[in-house]
Amino acid sequence: MTVLILTCEQDVTADMVVAQLHRRGVPLVRFDPADLPGEGALSAEYVRGEFRGYLSTGGRVVSMDGLRSIWVRRPGEPAAHAAEPSEWLTAESGQALYGVLECTGARWMNERDAAAKARLKPWQLRLAHHSGFPVPATVVTTYPRVARQFAEQYRHVVVKAVSGKPPGEPPMALPTTLVPPDTDFSDVAAGPTLLQRYIAKRADIRLTAVGDRLFAARKPAEPGQVDGRYGDTGHTWEPVEVQPRVERSVALYRKLAGLAYGAFDFAEDSEGTWWFLECNQGGQFGFIELETGQPIADAVAEWLGAPGECA
Amino acid sequence: MKPFAWNYARPAELAPVIDQYSYDSTLQLNVLPDGRPAVSDRTLLAAVGTTTSTAGSATHFDD
Repeated sequence: MTVLILTCEQDVTADMVVAQLHRRGVPLVRFDPADLPGEGALSAEYVRGEFRGYLSTGGRVVSMDGLRSIWVRRPGEPAAHAAEPSEWLTAESGQALYGVLECTGARWMNERDAAAKARLKPWQLRLAHHSGFPVPATVVTTYPRVARQFAEQYRHVVVKAVSGKPPGEPPMALPTTLVPPDTDFSDVAAGPTLLQRYIAKRADIRLTAVGDRLFAARKPAEPGQVDGRYGDTGHTWEPVEVQPRVERSVALYRKLAGLAYGAFDFAEDSEGTWWFLECNQGGQFGFIELETGQPIADAVAEWLGAPGECA
Repeated sequence: MKPFAWNYARPAELAPVIDQYSYDSTLQLNVLPDGRPAVSDRTLLAAVGTTTSTAGSATHFDD
């Protein structure tokens, strides 16, 4: 039985898992949907209630029946590398590929429907609350008046993107940023804006959940530092113990969200409380493993390589 | 008028040009010029930053 990894060639984080799968002797096929059609090919036939067929790339062929798990890591847009790419060809290729893969009994990391829902920040916060995490007060609004009142109520608020970094050129980043006093909120009317009560943190926490296995890492924050992803503070990530209460909340969140993998971000306040900020269903883990030595890639390989019923 | 959050956008760090390793379709991972897997050089991986939480590809943003 084979592991299918959907990702691009440049993804060295996937390499870390590929190396572990090799070490474990687990067959794998690395396939970039961007290569379909072209370097990548598929064929599947509907026979008596089942689609049966195969995928091929780089001289490898894998039967749909022979897939034990599918890791959706950093797949390119279907047909992006086609000789004549188009939106229609992307839609056709994506529907064909994922439609057929959804017919297999393979376990997914993560299920595509669950992954899509898990990207919705407002839903994440609600789920986090129901899972027992402390969640900072948050508003999403297009009303400048509401945004102003929220800022006045909590005094220190941050703004963050609702969906993530904006596409397009030149590439731009939207770090979580403290909103200065006396800010003019009239631009809130131009697009949904997410404001959140600022948590004065003494450390960032990244907790990577791979199935039931948890890897938590902590990096001290500088006073006033808001977005731990930006700015070199000289601190490094260190392994940190997960309290049983947090462990239970992570398990419940994963269950409710239907996620096999999730990268949780927390802000640790002065009393040691971990405030839920977000859970990235496809969050990077390579940088954590490199700094802490935590065997996250091997845990992913173990999950992907395990025999078992479909999730 | 532009969305409020856009007032806080800033130019993203350009993705590093990687010429220290290249993809090997036989091994299905990236290799160094001497043939070793790139992941065996952890110092290099940390230096190029391609495994960090700001290193999402153009199609992925939730790192």
